[in-house]
Amino acid sequence: MKRAVLALIFPLLLLGAWQLAASGSLLSPAYFPAPSRTFEALYQSIISGSLWSPLSATAVRMLEGWVLASLLGILLGSFIGSSRLGREFLQPSLEFLRPFPASAIIPAAIMLLGLSNQMAIFVIAFGSVWPVLLGTLHGFSAIEPRLKEVASTLEMRPIHYLFKMAIPSALPDIFTGIRISLAIALILAVVVEMQAAQPGLGQNILLAQRMFRSPELYAGIIVLGVFGLFANRSLNVIEMYFLNWKDQR
Amino acid sequence: MAGRGKGLLVPILVLALWEMLSRAGVLPIETLSRPTDVFAAGIAALFDGSLFVSTFQTLQAAFVGLCISIMLGVPVGLLIGISPTARLTAAPSFEAMRPVPPVALIPLSLLIFGFGVSMEAAVVGFACVWPIMIATTAAVGTVEGRLEEIARALEMTTFAYAKKIVLPATLGRIAVGVRVAVGIALVVAVTVEIVVNPRGLGYGMIIAQQSLRSDLMYAQLIWIGFVGWFVNGLLMRLDDTVLSRFNVAGAEQ
Amino acid sequence: MAAIVIRNVSLSFGQGPAARQILTDINLQVGSGEFVSIIGPSGCGKTTLLRLVGGLLPPSAGTIVCDGVEVQKPSRQRAIVFQDYGKALLPWRRVWSNVSLAFEAAGMEASQLKERAVDLLRIMQLEAVADHYPGQLSGGMQQRVQIARSLAQNPRIWLMDEPFGALDAITRQQLQDEVARIARERKITVIFITHDLEEAIYLGDRVVALGAHPGRILEEIEVGLPRPRDQLTTREDPLFLAHRHKLFGLLQEH
Repeated sequence: MKRAVLALIFPLLLLGAWQLAASGSLLSPAYFPAPSRTFEALYQSIISGSLWSPLSATAVRMLEGWVLASLLGILLGSFIGSSRLGREFLQPSLEFLRPFPASAIIPAAIMLLGLSNQMAIFVIAFGSVWPVLLGTLHGFSAIEPRLKEVASTLEMRPIHYLFKMAIPSALPDIFTGIRISLAIALILAVVVEMQAAQPGLGQNILLAQRMFRSPELYAGIIVLGVFGLFANRSLNVIEMYFLNWKDQR
Repeated sequence: MAGRGKGLLVPILVLALWEMLSRAGVLPIETLSRPTDVFAAGIAALFDGSLFVSTFQTLQAAFVGLCISIMLGVPVGLLIGISPTARLTAAPSFEAMRPVPPVALIPLSLLIFGFGVSMEAAVVGFACVWPIMIATTAAVGTVEGRLEEIARALEMTTFAYAKKIVLPATLGRIAVGVRVAVGIALVVAVTVEIVVNPRGLGYGMIIAQQSLRSDLMYAQLIWIGFVGWFVNGLLMRLDDTVLSRFNVAGAEQ
Repeated sequence: MAAIVIRNVSLSFGQGPAARQILTDINLQVGSGEFVSIIGPSGCGKTTLLRLVGGLLPPSAGTIVCDGVEVQKPSRQRAIVFQDYGKALLPWRRVWSNVSLAFEAAGMEASQLKERAVDLLRIMQLEAVADHYPGQLSGGMQQRVQIARSLAQNPRIWLMDEPFGALDAITRQQLQDEVARIARERKITVIFITHDLEEAIYLGDRVVALGAHPGRILEEIEVGLPRPRDQLTTREDPLFLAHRHKLFGLLQEH
């Protein structure tokens, strides 16, 4: 109980001070609208239903790109990771691409695919594939060699080895990659919307800025934050289910 | 085959294949330039100085943003790490703010600062403050309890304790957090330039794309990759020297 | 007919002057259902010999024939029990599921897996922890799980690499008796690696002593003690002590 009180004091004080400053015209209402106006804008968008369309557009776009990237990343990562040759020849190139800004691919994508939803999915998938690929690669290259010997003694078929030993063994690393991927997918979804004028929360926020409607602007940011949190927590739940053996000690 | 040679084989083969297909007319030259054209455009941009100007602008904004995030993130991280009350009070709020994608703040930053360095640095600062804060707090957690007892015995103020004992002990790990933040800083800076800000490497690519200069665009794209890779490598070497100076077991990833 | 025939087997790594000779001229025959203990100092190649018989790596020279078939790759028939049980079990599968892995590899129907696995766990007195994860078990129990899985392979040959080396004395004695009993009941041929002299004599019908640098057979001793053996009385038997003296001296020299 005491923890909850402490946790709330900080934001409440901050918001309270902000509200006072805004009402007393200490803060410019154009840049720092009173929290009451922001929450009202938020409330309005929820009950009028105007929130859901752009939110779902962004969410769907993010999910499509992210799922595509994850599947591709796991597939490629397991192929490359299982083959020593593959690792030696390809890992340096992949490590070079790791710090690459995914958004930098947007101009090229626009040139190749135009200002379309396909371009958006492509950009999101392209940017999100690297963490999953590298995570899977690492997971596969770190498989306990003793397990491979067990598999050969049991005369396990290669396909069984892949699904019963290799993938479960690599799963923690794969999940790490997927989690990072999710964050990147959301960021890219918003960026692409802003850049290519695709309908969604990103575009909403940008329009709000152009029209100097700052309460809508802040409301949009809050919605994105909440959605990001929700997506992350959902993934955590899924991860807990698959990796629940780790906590049993 | 030498170790480093192996890594280069695949990229070289890919580029050679790309070149051949382009010359054979299989790949559309308007949208997928030949590697040789890209290389030529890159050299030209290098020599006429435009590449350096853009690179400087991007790095400048990234650097300023990074400084902001360090100046905010390290003290706050220390405070949260040292004082349980501070952690209980402030940490939940930070947890709530963290999931906001930095790019969502672009319009807000634009609204407040208008176009230019400040706006970009602000977004970079917001993006980088979290990894630095988290790294700092985690680093404080590894400081031995004994040091805290000594500080209490000497009746040090929290401020003195932070400055004289905690900070030097945690510098190594904070350095690792900074390295992560630098990567983020570059990515965010380029992203802001692509979306709105008319300066830097990101903007250069947009201009090239809109003028249908695909060779220049790809040249800048590859250049960005090199910059990222170079800066990352530089920091890793720096990290090693910092860590060895403070006698911390290295290889912190 | 002998179950295992090792003829003129040598193993070396590397080429030219830097070549390391791990094993030279190993000649050994193990009868069907026989329990052979192999002892020797560290680095004498006893683990390597086991892995050769298991088919995990090929010899540089010579042949290994099991049940009339030359050994070229691992087989279910030659079950291996590794020393590092922690690394040989799947931490993300429950205990019974680890055992059923052998059944799955052999193509058993899914509906029968758990039942048959629990049957084997009962033999190893692990029935109570069937639904636990390996990480929740003690070292001794984890090794029992590995042994249960090796039994699930329905092997004709058991290859055990210092299986009890990491366990405490009491657990070790319990498992020694269990392994001896199961091997006799199921008529499994056993090659048992250990560096514990007494364990080798206690368990084996024969003890083979290897010397190091390079690995070679120093001596073979017929144990000749009556079965079933008993932890207390057998170890006090004059014959047991005589073997112990002899082998102790042998290993001291080398």
